[in-house]
Amino acid sequence: MQGAARIAHGLLTDAARPLGFRFDGRPMQGLAGDTLASALLANGRQLIGRSFKYHRPRGIVTAGPEEPCALVDLIGAGGREPNHLATTLMLYQGLVAESQNRWPSLGFDVMALNDLVARFLPAGFYYKTFMAPGWAWERLYEPLIRRAAGLGRLDALVGEHAAAAETVHDHTDVLVVGAGVAGLTAAHRLGASGLTVMLAEQDAVLGGGALLDARWADWRQSTCAALSALPQVRCLPRTTVLGAYGHGVFGALENLAGADAASHGGLRERLRIIRARRVIFATGALERLIAFPGNDLPGVMLAGAALAYLRRYGVAVGRQPAFFLNTDQAYETVFALAGAGIERLGVIDVRRGSLAAERARALGIEVHDGAVVEAVIGRAGVGGVRVANRDGGQRREFEADCLLISGGYCPATALASQLGAALRWQDAIAAFTPDLSPAVGRMAGAARGVFGLAAAARNGEAAARVIAAELGHASLAAGLGLAVAPDPAATPIDALWEVRARGKAFVDLQNDVTAADVRLAQREGYEHVEHMKRYTTHGMATDQGRIGGLVGSAVLAQARGLPLSEVGQPKPRPYSQPVPLAALAGSEVRQHLKPKRRLPLHDWHEAAGASFVTTGLWLRPLVYSRQTGWEAVLREARAVRRSVGISDMSTLGKIDVQGPDAAKFLDFIYANTLSTLAVGRSRYGIMLREDGMVLDDGTTSRLAQQHFLVTTTTANAAVVLEHMEFHLQAMCPQFDVLLSDVADQWAQFAIAGPRSREVVAAVVADLDLSSQAFPFMAASAATIAGVAGRVFRISFSGELAYELAVPARHGLSVWLAVLAAGQPFGIEPYGLDALNTLRIEKGHVTAAEINGNTCAADLGFQRMLKQQVDFIGRTLSQRAGLGAPDRMQLVGVRPVNRARRLRNGSHLVAPTARTTSLGYVTSSTPSTELPGWVGLALLAGGQQHSGQRLLASSPIHKEATEVEIVSPHMIDPENVRVRA
Amino acid sequence: MPGKAAGLQLETSASDIVEIAALRGRALDVARIALGRGVPLPALGRALVATGHLALCVRPDRWLILSPPAPAGASAAAWQAACAGLGAVLDQSSGFSALEFAGSQAREVLVRSCRIDLDPLAFPVGTACATIMAQVPVILVALASGLLLLTPATTARHFHEWLVSASRLLGFEPPSQKHDAAVSDGLAGAGDRLS
Repeated sequence: MQGAARIAHGLLTDAARPLGFRFDGRPMQGLAGDTLASALLANGRQLIGRSFKYHRPRGIVTAGPEEPCALVDLIGAGGREPNHLATTLMLYQGLVAESQNRWPSLGFDVMALNDLVARFLPAGFYYKTFMAPGWAWERLYEPLIRRAAGLGRLDALVGEHAAAAETVHDHTDVLVVGAGVAGLTAAHRLGASGLTVMLAEQDAVLGGGALLDARWADWRQSTCAALSALPQVRCLPRTTVLGAYGHGVFGALENLAGADAASHGGLRERLRIIRARRVIFATGALERLIAFPGNDLPGVMLAGAALAYLRRYGVAVGRQPAFFLNTDQAYETVFALAGAGIERLGVIDVRRGSLAAERARALGIEVHDGAVVEAVIGRAGVGGVRVANRDGGQRREFEADCLLISGGYCPATALASQLGAALRWQDAIAAFTPDLSPAVGRMAGAARGVFGLAAAARNGEAAARVIAAELGHASLAAGLGLAVAPDPAATPIDALWEVRARGKAFVDLQNDVTAADVRLAQREGYEHVEHMKRYTTHGMATDQGRIGGLVGSAVLAQARGLPLSEVGQPKPRPYSQPVPLAALAGSEVRQHLKPKRRLPLHDWHEAAGASFVTTGLWLRPLVYSRQTGWEAVLREARAVRRSVGISDMSTLGKIDVQGPDAAKFLDFIYANTLSTLAVGRSRYGIMLREDGMVLDDGTTSRLAQQHFLVTTTTANAAVVLEHMEFHLQAMCPQFDVLLSDVADQWAQFAIAGPRSREVVAAVVADLDLSSQAFPFMAASAATIAGVAGRVFRISFSGELAYELAVPARHGLSVWLAVLAAGQPFGIEPYGLDALNTLRIEKGHVTAAEINGNTCAADLGFQRMLKQQVDFIGRTLSQRAGLGAPDRMQLVGVRPVNRARRLRNGSHLVAPTARTTSLGYVTSSTPSTELPGWVGLALLAGGQQHSGQRLLASSPIHKEATEVEIVSPHMIDPENVRVRA
Repeated sequence: MPGKAAGLQLETSASDIVEIAALRGRALDVARIALGRGVPLPALGRALVATGHLALCVRPDRWLILSPPAPAGASAAAWQAACAGLGAVLDQSSGFSALEFAGSQAREVLVRSCRIDLDPLAFPVGTACATIMAQVPVILVALASGLLLLTPATTARHFHEWLVSASRLLGFEPPSQKHDAAVSDGLAGAGDRLS
């Protein structure tokens, strides 16, 4: 008998519950409790996929989330999902999976040719090989390489998946990461002492190493039972801590499988954002590979994984296993397989004699001391091994159906490193351990370099004791008093990283990086471990190269002639394993993707037939018509020009400014002077950024001597409030000023048009609206349709106009009262499009012109800037460059042929030099009064070109329209109407 | 408009809201005047209830006072007169939307977006804070009867929709909100809601 098979009862599998599944179309059977990997092994299946670059056959290497090779496509109701790890995917009835990265079939893969021509495909080959011709990279090489590379394939984005995740925020005294013996001990002692504890375990069951050692079975069961009886301890199996972000914030992904998912409405993932006062990383240690030729063949597996398959699932990964190892700990698998009845075992031990080797020999197991594996015999699976002494002598071959390797154990330090813990080299275990800051928490157990379960229990308790004391619990609760099996004495590790012989020796199985690639990187100058990583892609695959990371560093250290402790390891970053984007989005998807701000009168606008447009977060009425086209827009705009219209301006930012220094502060914020404003008057103002560019514009009204109301543009409402708050707190701390956001409190309506005075007079009871009593730019409190509010005589449209402000909850009654009062004049509500038409032909600017690249002079505001007094942006607004004559400045444009239209974004070019852009059209509209279209543009040299003719060119529309450059003030340039 | 589901109640609560910000060095004067009007002002991060008023403080020297609805602007006008020269008094009755969210499962819903620890030990009755939930600003107050959520009026519907959909995920069916601002339930009797 050869090959993998289920030979015993597994701790997690239920022999009474068989589950049918398909792999690459072939029906197979596993057991409830199996992972896909254990079920495939139980079916004798070793070949699982093809590798990333060389398309070499690959099998199962590990039994956990560090798996580099056994990635499969999972085909579910929602479609195909690539890159599922067979080693963590729980088997279910009807599961359908397919191997990846092979064509036409797993057994015969065309791209395996890459393996034969590998000497032409070294690390970084695409930087060197595909240099010429220049055009070919984008059009030929890159598409080819992209098609050849990569692992799984996405069918399409599957909508249903998006809902099946959520985010939850958790708080706890102590987060314990890892529920092995150290983590379980620490969690229990802390919880029993009265602290709240979250215990996150990536495995579906708690126990870690205790699951693999029968002597610890009772201990594990009793401890887990005691934990579940503690209400302040939350055990989270299938929860992987993905990132450690400082300040006690951790991200963890909880997978909800099977029945758990069904009870949560199909939820599959839950992102937990955990805030903890302290953390205990009891994350264990990862077994590492040894680099030798053929160390990637299906059937080559980590020794600890073979132990896990036997204990957890009752699966022997081979019936004639060979071992290649260098620690006593790895012998646990030898003893376990021998104990399960596997007879033909052979051990190749790097060391010259060890306690474990003596025990093995006593059991009649063949042990080759001081030897290494030079090669694996076989093409798509293990047929045998070629062994030599460490000095290269005494070559011999042995038959084997699998090779179980162990190069030692690396404490899982990624999370601690993310928190800035320095790594310290430990000769005794030939690995790095992290120096975690005590203010953050503690390492415990194997993660701290303490190997052995009894030692882990003691270490977990010690970590719990200091943390409990730090959190104010001087005495730790007593333990459970359980019997603990002592750790056997062990002969230390003899570190071996690589066996140099003919053939590819891999240090990163998922990205197909060999030891030779690492040396190549060093020869080519990529000596630093971070540079080597990027040049070779070592550790950049989804498994982050965890089982070979230190091996790559060791090969680099050897090539550089430095000790490994000086070369170090690349810095790990979040996430420590792949995360579905849906899990990161949580519940903020679809209609919750981004907030919508609705006007107080949103429902009225909707009922009135408005089409809405999203501007920032706002939903604004664009036009009161469901028709596209200019007809409805022009009807609304002409109502304003000819009679009267009403528009909802509630989206404007409104900032209440009060205090003895309010006027001084506004003088500092605004480029123009506001302190001279009389009470009851409004003034247009602009504010600059520190760099001298225009930030925003708007009107400011003085409601009382020490009370101003600032309005901002819709787009910049939040920006301006923040800008003012920052400068008040950081630049003017001496000013006694109070800023308050009152944007949502006030509904504000513009009533504009030659008949607006009559309409407003009908709803405003206590105010004389005559031009003498209430001139242009006047402001006053007033009772509007019975509601206490404010009236401003300001105009954006260029017509006689008023703005009425009332508390938003009374907005509807006031709006309706104005509509009723305006009915005799044919009042029309007008939307954002008509508003734009009116302001463009009047030459008023908005965000299209105040676009962050324009200064005051560009927009014709240069005379507003204070000359003597300081204000934000003053110094840099005086830069020589901002006064250059060829800066783009605001102009008006009109097509010479009045029948032609304008387009926003069209470039202005001279007829004689059509490829040189002189500027562009920022805003355009058909005019309400002038024939044809009008537009605003930013043009180099600006008004110097007044009267000239240029072309407005839109190459994507294949249009070039002859335009004349005019003043931006195309309607009522003398501003007579607003003063009517 | 109360709506009850197993373990969850969601009500909109119309109240007058006045924002009072003290000028520099005037916080004690403002507090003294408020106390004279029967409204003790709380410290930062706290809320106090007295005589039907709820006062909360989530910014230094600045308070929100919620009171039963009075004729439009009357509450603010009274406070303006009382605090003249000491600070800014602003009517915010239309600026915020108030929701009361209560029941054994309310916290379970909110942890889906709220970064603040709402465990009664960490956020006991009488605590107030400002945070972000569902990407919009929310002021949270722990009352004996549940949580009071204040959110800017123009994003209130978005927040409510998120709250309803997060509740549904846990199997609850809260009532649809009436968007009419004239819902008058108010904070009458709020006195028994704090311990």
